[in-house]
Amino acid sequence: MFDLFSDIFTYRDNALTRIDPRAKVVIALAALIALLTAERVILPLFVFGICLGTVAALRIPAKLVAVRLAAPLSIVAVLVVIQTFFTGTTPLFTITLAGWPLTAKAEGLRQGVFLGGRVLGSVSVVFLLGVVTPAHRIFQALRWFRISRNWLEIAILMYRYIFVLMDRVADLAAAQRLRLGYTARGRAMKSFTALAGSTIIHSLEQAKRTHDAMRLRGYRGTMPFGPLPELGRRDRMITALCLIGILSARLLEWGITG
Amino acid sequence: MKAVAVTGVHFTYDDGTEALSGIDFQVEEGEFVAVLGSNGSGKTTLIALLVGLIKAKSGRIEIGGREIGSLTAEELYQRVGLVFQNPNDQLFAATVEEDVAFGPRNLNLPEEEVQLRVRSALTAVAALPLRGRAIHHLSFGEQKRVSLAGVLAMRPAVLILDEPTAGLDPAGEAQMMQLLKKLNREEGMTVILATHSVDMLPLFANRIYVLDRGRVLQQGPSEEIFCHQEMIDRAKLRLPYVSRLMYEMKRHDGVPIDGLPLTIGEARAQLLELIPKEMILPGIEEIGP
Repeated sequence: MFDLFSDIFTYRDNALTRIDPRAKVVIALAALIALLTAERVILPLFVFGICLGTVAALRIPAKLVAVRLAAPLSIVAVLVVIQTFFTGTTPLFTITLAGWPLTAKAEGLRQGVFLGGRVLGSVSVVFLLGVVTPAHRIFQALRWFRISRNWLEIAILMYRYIFVLMDRVADLAAAQRLRLGYTARGRAMKSFTALAGSTIIHSLEQAKRTHDAMRLRGYRGTMPFGPLPELGRRDRMITALCLIGILSARLLEWGITG
Repeated sequence: MKAVAVTGVHFTYDDGTEALSGIDFQVEEGEFVAVLGSNGSGKTTLIALLVGLIKAKSGRIEIGGREIGSLTAEELYQRVGLVFQNPNDQLFAATVEEDVAFGPRNLNLPEEEVQLRVRSALTAVAALPLRGRAIHHLSFGEQKRVSLAGVLAMRPAVLILDEPTAGLDPAGEAQMMQLLKKLNREEGMTVILATHSVDMLPLFANRIYVLDRGRVLQQGPSEEIFCHQEMIDRAKLRLPYVSRLMYEMKRHDGVPIDGLPLTIGEARAQLLELIPKEMILPGIEEIGP
């Protein structure tokens, strides 16, 4: 369960982790814009393939990839089904579900695959960014983009305390399991509700204690941030090359579509 | 000069629990003072009052000769720093470096000074190699040391610690106490320690305050405190294990022990006096591996 948030791979030394996070964020944003404006499924699938290939080359465990992509893949599946059966005019085939005839349409299927491709492409870009950049360095990069300090402060605290709360939830869930709290559906529901309530209370108490600790070290409503180093020449070169690559791919796709 | 002076302080929580009932508590500059008490004795409330997290209903609290209410937050937190019992309450930044730099940056110090303080605080707690690490990747002992560094970076004159050894293994406990001793003896920092762990105190504390149900039962050097067995029992505390052993030998076996040794060194010296010289093997340390 907690592999979902594991960031140990971001601390490995490789060509991608060595790139300045600001460069990576710029490249990721450019890729996302290209994907969102894509007019055919080929570009999103191409990006998806590149990202997955890179993740495999970085030896990120397939299990972690599967866990992280599970939610977007489910969304894609639902999207494809809805589009296929509820949009378009050219019938492909008909199935009967609980006495209701449902007809799949060619235009809907195309549209579903296209939207699904966009989702997968975008998610894989963010996933790749997440496995080669520690969260705190992404926050640092976001400061460079003049993102509101208050938003960043909340994000930093959330990121920090996710791990604390997860430990707490894991302990509580284990304690419930050891006392047979999840052996029947009704009991499991009760245990889960108690767990959720306790986590909310714990997070509120934690927030109070953390705020006290911050006040004792001079906090007056805004978290201070240190200066950011200048973006190196190598990183600027990498950013420029990647932006050219993304723009070319987008223009190429535009040419094909046009 | 008094680093901390608390006179006749009362505090009652909103639910009616009287946590402190007319406490008097004084700490001289450069002293190492332990506040000893069982759970619910009022230690944590006293600490919260000393750092201004809560306000006394009556009485007077002075930090460095000035009434606590007359100090701005900036002045107060450069005079007194608190290390929380659970480091997770205190470590809120993503990395060690950012967390330790939090206080100095809030003081609006130049970045070079911030970096200097971060380096020196991390060096003081032997955590400089952890500088770039994410907080959630640290062990509990490392988190404890980093949370201490975060407070040291504020350069407070008085360092208050709430159960600093709670949750640490014996080696971590000894390391933490040695660290505090060094800060006190070498840097001249005033240290106030709230704890219910008695074994190490005779080695480190100049004076001990024993709290029970919001009152000071007794205060004084450890040899004075631990010779009052009845008072120790009343406070739901215990003697250090080595003292307990010597006490039992004296009381039940009639071993003629002078006073009550509080440390292993003192107990060893007394036992050596009692054992006939011919029974002691010379150079025993050389026999072992």
